[in-house]
Amino acid sequence: MSTRFSTTTSAVPAGLVLALVGELDSSTAPAAQEAIRRLTLRAGDRLIVDLARLEFCDSSGIAALIAARSLAGRAGATIALAAVPRHLGKVLGLLGLADLFTTLPNADHT
Amino acid sequence: MCQADDAGGAGEGRDEDRVGAMFSALLEDSAEDLYENAPCGYLSTLMDGTIAKINGTLLGWLGIGREELVGRRRFSDLLTVGGRMYYETHIGPMLTMHGEAGGLALELKAADGTRLPVMATSRVKTGADGSAQLIRITLFDARDRRAYERELLRARQESEADRDRARQLASTLQRTLLPPSLMTVPGMEVAAYYHPASVDEVGGDFYDLFPLTGDSWGFFLGDVSGKGAEAAVVTSLARYTLRSAAVYNPEPVKVLDNLNTVLQQQYRGGEIRFCTVVYGCLVPDDTGCAITLVSGGHPPAIVVRADGTTQFLHTHGGMLVGAIPDARFTEITAHLGPGDTLLLYSDGLTEARPVGGSSERYSEEELLDHLAASAAHGASEVIASLTELLTGFGDGVEDDTALLALSIPLPRDGDS
Repeated sequence: MSTRFSTTTSAVPAGLVLALVGELDSSTAPAAQEAIRRLTLRAGDRLIVDLARLEFCDSSGIAALIAARSLAGRAGATIALAAVPRHLGKVLGLLGLADLFTTLPNADHT
Repeated sequence: MCQADDAGGAGEGRDEDRVGAMFSALLEDSAEDLYENAPCGYLSTLMDGTIAKINGTLLGWLGIGREELVGRRRFSDLLTVGGRMYYETHIGPMLTMHGEAGGLALELKAADGTRLPVMATSRVKTGADGSAQLIRITLFDARDRRAYERELLRARQESEADRDRARQLASTLQRTLLPPSLMTVPGMEVAAYYHPASVDEVGGDFYDLFPLTGDSWGFFLGDVSGKGAEAAVVTSLARYTLRSAAVYNPEPVKVLDNLNTVLQQQYRGGEIRFCTVVYGCLVPDDTGCAITLVSGGHPPAIVVRADGTTQFLHTHGGMLVGAIPDARFTEITAHLGPGDTLLLYSDGLTEARPVGGSSERYSEEELLDHLAASAAHGASEVIASLTELLTGFGDGVEDDTALLALSIPLPRDGDS
């Protein structure tokens, strides 16, 4: 198991917080995808993806964020990205994806 | 047990005697016999290499009689030409300096002309006064070892051939993803460049330029997420979908809508595959050509004007293609006049890490400034200038890089 990347999922009153920690690239993205598949979201929940401790994110990481968004959409839940690193914010903007995600300054903000 | 011991006491003593006698019988002539018939070759030479003593095993290997060698020939006479040179230039000096030399791979020349690979170790025997007296050499039959090495070499050559075949396949596949040569558009100059980041893998960049109707042309440049065979499948799908979608409905936004739908359908339920792409349509007119551009999450195209100024053609809001079902794309228009150049590029260029620079990646803004400062005019000069820039980055280019430039040539002096 890679120690470069880990995920934690915690339940909060509004829904779930999925924290992505470390380096998210093509070798660690499957672990992120797996964590996303395991999320049990109910209609009306809010999924907060906490990126405060995400150190690196390439296109496979973007794919994981999109997967999380479509999973939330299918469940009737909403998604928000918390503490988006500056570079990732710029990349999301370039890719035209900034409007797809609500952003929060941090995961505690509900 | 005790009984057996008692009963066997005297007999045991006799057995011990017998075994002892047997061993000593074996051992008594062992020194000479071992020397003569050892499972390795022995020889001793004088310091000048003249053979002084040689064992039967080695004589057997060589097929030469003892009388022909002892006092008459030197050790190096038994070696192949290469071995002789090696002995004289390396082994001899090593023995003189260190008194020993080991792990030497040599080839002996047998009387019948066959060559016998051996591993040799040698040591200088010194007298009581410390002076060198003899060189003792032990030779091991290395035919098995040599066969093993040949096998290793063959396996290595085979794997190298496999790698060459894989590279060949990658480069062949790469060529099918790019046009063999760009089409010519009347009244325009076009140039392109492709730099694969790896020779082992198919890259994920693609571009093309093709006729739509009699007086309009379609062109695109894109970048698929990921590398290798998986990405190549998407690259191929994207390229052919763009071409056929453009013929079906040339409106640029519709072309990207179509590609988005196709990528979504293809990868529904599986790993998401997406690409960034700039798609454009150009219509030559009296003063140059009109361009409609639509971008799907791709870095902005650049226009280098005839006066050397540069500007981005931002297509705000254009989304990554294939990522979500209801992706939106926005269209912009531009006009190219004489001397103007439109440049499309992939992020291999703007994400490169300049050699010797900081870890900062080369940005789109720097590219814009580079082009403004370069004084490159026209598609070919712009591509040449950027090719030079990329070459300067060396290993700093981590991703594939594709460049496509279109320009309206300035009227030549004679024309005006």
